[in-house]
Amino acid sequence: MNSDRVFAIAWLLLSAAAAWVATGFTAEFSYEPVGPRAFPLLLCVLMALCSIWLLVFPGPKVAWPQRGGAFRLAIMVAALLAYALVFQWLGFAIATALLTIVLGRLFGGGWMACVATGALMGISLFFLFDRWLEVTLPIGTLIEGLL
Amino acid sequence: MSAFEHLLHGFGIASQWSNLLVAAIGAFIGTLVGMLPGLGPINGVAILLPLAYAMKLPPETALILLAAVYMGCEYGGRISSILLNVPGDAGAIMTAIDGYPMARKGLAGVALSISAWSSFVGSVIATLGLVIFAPVLADWAVAFGPAEYCALMIFAIACLAGMVGDKPVRTLLAALIGLTLATVGVDANSGVYRFTFDNVHLSDGIQFIVVVIGFFSVSELMLMLEQHTETGQQLVKNTGRMMFNAREAAQTWWCTVRSSVIGFFVGVLPGAGATIASAITYVTEKRIYGSNGTFGHGDIRGVAAPEAANNASATGSFVPMLTLGVPGSGTTAVMMGALTLYNITPGPMLFTQQPDIVWGLIASLFIGNVMLLVLNIPLVNLFARALSTPMWMLVPAIAAISAIGVYAVHATTFDLVLMTVLGVFGYILRKMDFPMSALILGFVLGEMLEQNLRRALSISNGDVAVLWSSPISAGLLLASGTMLIAPFLVRRLRGVRRQVA
Repeated sequence: MNSDRVFAIAWLLLSAAAAWVATGFTAEFSYEPVGPRAFPLLLCVLMALCSIWLLVFPGPKVAWPQRGGAFRLAIMVAALLAYALVFQWLGFAIATALLTIVLGRLFGGGWMACVATGALMGISLFFLFDRWLEVTLPIGTLIEGLL
Repeated sequence: MSAFEHLLHGFGIASQWSNLLVAAIGAFIGTLVGMLPGLGPINGVAILLPLAYAMKLPPETALILLAAVYMGCEYGGRISSILLNVPGDAGAIMTAIDGYPMARKGLAGVALSISAWSSFVGSVIATLGLVIFAPVLADWAVAFGPAEYCALMIFAIACLAGMVGDKPVRTLLAALIGLTLATVGVDANSGVYRFTFDNVHLSDGIQFIVVVIGFFSVSELMLMLEQHTETGQQLVKNTGRMMFNAREAAQTWWCTVRSSVIGFFVGVLPGAGATIASAITYVTEKRIYGSNGTFGHGDIRGVAAPEAANNASATGSFVPMLTLGVPGSGTTAVMMGALTLYNITPGPMLFTQQPDIVWGLIASLFIGNVMLLVLNIPLVNLFARALSTPMWMLVPAIAAISAIGVYAVHATTFDLVLMTVLGVFGYILRKMDFPMSALILGFVLGEMLEQNLRRALSISNGDVAVLWSSPISAGLLLASGTMLIAPFLVRRLRGVRRQVA
């Protein structure tokens, strides 16, 4: 099926769900004629109308990545999610080094080159931002525990 | 105080050493980011904004940094257009048409220097336009009430939908998604939590920085991975003569000036940006010179015109942002979000309440452009060398710096996860041709639109007619309607004509 149609149906359902949630936005005290509910509801209605339009007049086919490409994208997303989850635990430097190795390999870097870049990047970015530019980054609860 | 005195005051602020330093750094990073294919001004500004905020730069310094990055990107995009035949950003697409053939003829150095020069002329003309028109527009807009503001914001969104051309419904839906994302969090007027699903991290809304980085940085990395191939385009190494001569300067002068003026006015219109400006001027110049030009085969004017236009329109897009609080491009939408991070409400009052920010920014545009000219003519070879940075080094660096920016705001893992999720969503939307600039415009305008709508209706005691009762709002709404319907009518008419023929 055309991906516009899939998207339109999904978005129609989502708009309906959001509208249903939005009907519950009522204030106990109200000083104004328009409360917190009207605007989100209006947006949901408009989004639903746009979705119906897309459903009726879908655009051209979208070239989604083939199996290998999709797999590589999935690895990238998984790596970013894992990065987010271990960010505070392993600390910025180690997490970034690991992320660099995975992403570097995805983009065709050699093993040794990626490991070296990862180590360099983790440490140098940590010092650049945390120590020099005073943007606080996590050292890592794991490392703090070891120290 | 006259505009001239204000400008002098602005130069005083822009020439403080910290602001000069920041402008130079911004110009350098901007050129680099603009040059790298895939990364454009909106990515550059999006990635640097959270860092500027986390480093606790004062608002005018942060804005000067972001503006320098924006300008730098408009300069930098041409480098890869000319040397690689791959536009570095969307504004430089037209530059490749004549720039790469010039490079193939051994005139890469001339193409690079003349385009830097015309970028400079475009920026300076447009900055002068900004000095002349912005205060007038701000004076006029001070009288705007909430109803006029609503109409203005609807006009900005409609402009974008109409301008982006063949996909008004997609643009509208993207803007609506942005507006809806902006409603998440506690409602300021009533204290009601909306779409937070009892999640503490969502109670004060989705962070602007998380949205911007997710939609523009993470989704960009995913697109890069998808399009990544082992064999890249051949970089033109032989740049030949580095400086244009007097004859070439004279040959391009009027077309540069013309394109700058057109570019400025296209930039002022909300929604139309550098891409449209450079396309319009390229086509115009091609038509003017007709058979006297060799457009498409390495005409020097085909390089000068779009470069002047994209810089002029980038500068022009500051006009609606500074005077009306309604951004003229995706990038200025992000910059406007930067102001709101500092609790500064953009709008006509900005000129009277925050003259330091406004005039410091305008003066820094003059200074930044001089810096960029210096960076982009003698040092262009240095930048060109950076084009051979391998993707496997670049991508992790972008990912890590994006994460630093997001983490710096609230120091929570939640924001990093949300960033990735929004990135995947953004990737899907971009694959399906939804314009991200509309989404970010909607997100930035969301709260203002709702607040003004409610305020207008409070004043009128619920009478909806207030929204179109004043001539200004009626005119703007009428113009918005025309913007949305015009593309359909034009297509219909064309279809009819084709059938008749």
